[in-house]
Amino acid sequence: MSTLLASGPGLRQRGPGAWLAGLSTRGKAAVIAVEVLVMLALWQLVVGVLGWINPVFVPPPLAIATGFGELVSTGALTANAPISVQAWLTGFAIAVVTAIPVGLLMGTSLPVDRVTSPIAWTIYATPSIAYQPLAKAWFGFGIGPVVFLVTISAVFPILLNVAAGMRTTSASLIRAGQVYGANRFQLYRSIYLPSTTPFLFAGLRQAVVLATIGMTVAELAGSATGMGALIIKASNTYQTDQAYAAIGIVVIWSVGMTRVITLVERLVAPWTRKGHS
Amino acid sequence: MSIQTQLPALRATGRRRGTAQRGEARWTFLLIAVVLAILAVWEAVVRAGLVPEAFLPPPSKVLTAFLALLVEGEFWQAFAFSMGNVVVGLALAIVVGVVVGLAVGWSPVLRFTVAPFLWLLYSTPKVALAPVIILALGLGSESKIALTFLLAVFPILLNTMEGAVTVSPSLVRAARVFGVRGPALGWKVIFPATLPFSLAGIRRGAALGFTGEVLGEFLGGTGGLGHMLEQAAYQFEMDEALAMVVVMVIIANLTLSLIGLLQRKLAPWHDERTAAAS
Repeated sequence: MSTLLASGPGLRQRGPGAWLAGLSTRGKAAVIAVEVLVMLALWQLVVGVLGWINPVFVPPPLAIATGFGELVSTGALTANAPISVQAWLTGFAIAVVTAIPVGLLMGTSLPVDRVTSPIAWTIYATPSIAYQPLAKAWFGFGIGPVVFLVTISAVFPILLNVAAGMRTTSASLIRAGQVYGANRFQLYRSIYLPSTTPFLFAGLRQAVVLATIGMTVAELAGSATGMGALIIKASNTYQTDQAYAAIGIVVIWSVGMTRVITLVERLVAPWTRKGHS
Repeated sequence: MSIQTQLPALRATGRRRGTAQRGEARWTFLLIAVVLAILAVWEAVVRAGLVPEAFLPPPSKVLTAFLALLVEGEFWQAFAFSMGNVVVGLALAIVVGVVVGLAVGWSPVLRFTVAPFLWLLYSTPKVALAPVIILALGLGSESKIALTFLLAVFPILLNTMEGAVTVSPSLVRAARVFGVRGPALGWKVIFPATLPFSLAGIRRGAALGFTGEVLGEFLGGTGGLGHMLEQAAYQFEMDEALAMVVVMVIIANLTLSLIGLLQRKLAPWHDERTAAAS
């Protein structure tokens, strides 16, 4: 979001551009809030009142709000959301628990890095959707394939970021540590750990986004329960207002978990760039 | 000036290249040995009956299935169908993403009014829209192209925008001093300075676009690599399913290394590692 507030390469700043640049952070937030409201009102007007776009494909905001109400009152939300949350959290936990030690090992040992990272990059480069049919064949139709896809989507960004963080630790800091007589443990604790932590959190943030995509794909393409299955069911019965409400909930989950990661970073690692802002 | 400062550096790498190359070769051998060992263990475990073969066929069977695919007309039809859709969707995404990204990045007003919505759409898992898009556009190529476009366009757009914002003002000032203005300024200064960012976005966009195509095929229609893979897994022909996954791994990695090659060729000054932790 920092680009929003950057001045950019346009040098002559006059008129509305200069006015916007001169606003305080709170003023900018107010302008954006007004914009969002105007946008929602326009959307409601174009689709809901004037009917220029078929409301089945892009339902107006008020219809989506009603759809959300229907999801809650029919119990569809309470039946599906906890399953998705459980699958997501399980998969993400497995990914974190596997990726951090392997990433640290890759960062410490050159042979491990040279063998593991080409393999990891090769799997990571392939969209995780390619592994979905295999997961379905191996783990059946329950929560298993969803957990598998969340894990395989989330594990590589964490692993590769941790390894990169260890590798890019400043050599002069390490030498300085050695000069002051730090032993191996102290080197890890006071030099490698602080410089790898920002990479870890960057990896975790990427992993949240990819894990949510993995979860959605797995549930869309072969699951009877979960938010993805709810979206499919609602769309196939032309209740797209409910489908958009369900999509909105997935978006809120994704953004919310990214915020949680940033909050944790601020709490445990206040020295990082994201941590202190 | 630059030649004089670069020459010693070149000589230094030239002297070191011999040992470095020998070191690299050693690691490649180690990698190949480890991969072969993993395949051998996999083969042995399945042959010994520790894992049922219907569940996880041995690598030799997967290789046979892979080679059988390559001579099958049906496979190449599916390949042409999927790749055609991906290419069309990705081309649209690149054009729209770069043009809109440059415009939004250049204009502070546009950046302020449009960019928040673009960020919101960027962080939305747009795969969730797949059923609605199929509902709107049907089971043919159109819905798959639309999905590919929708998933690919935002990383390209936002990377381009970020690139345009970070163009150094001193470059723009220097160009103005030399009388470059108007469209020429965009073409000669902003565009080249933004290119590495756009290419990084295209890399991410290509991977996501491929996801869109395969997801579209999973959810409906009868054609394409994703459909073949799903059919094979559904009928529990695991050797063919694994061979299809190998095909997708190869396609994805070839595409990414091709774009990586373009990045090095068109923007050799850009070092992605410096931007990695941001």
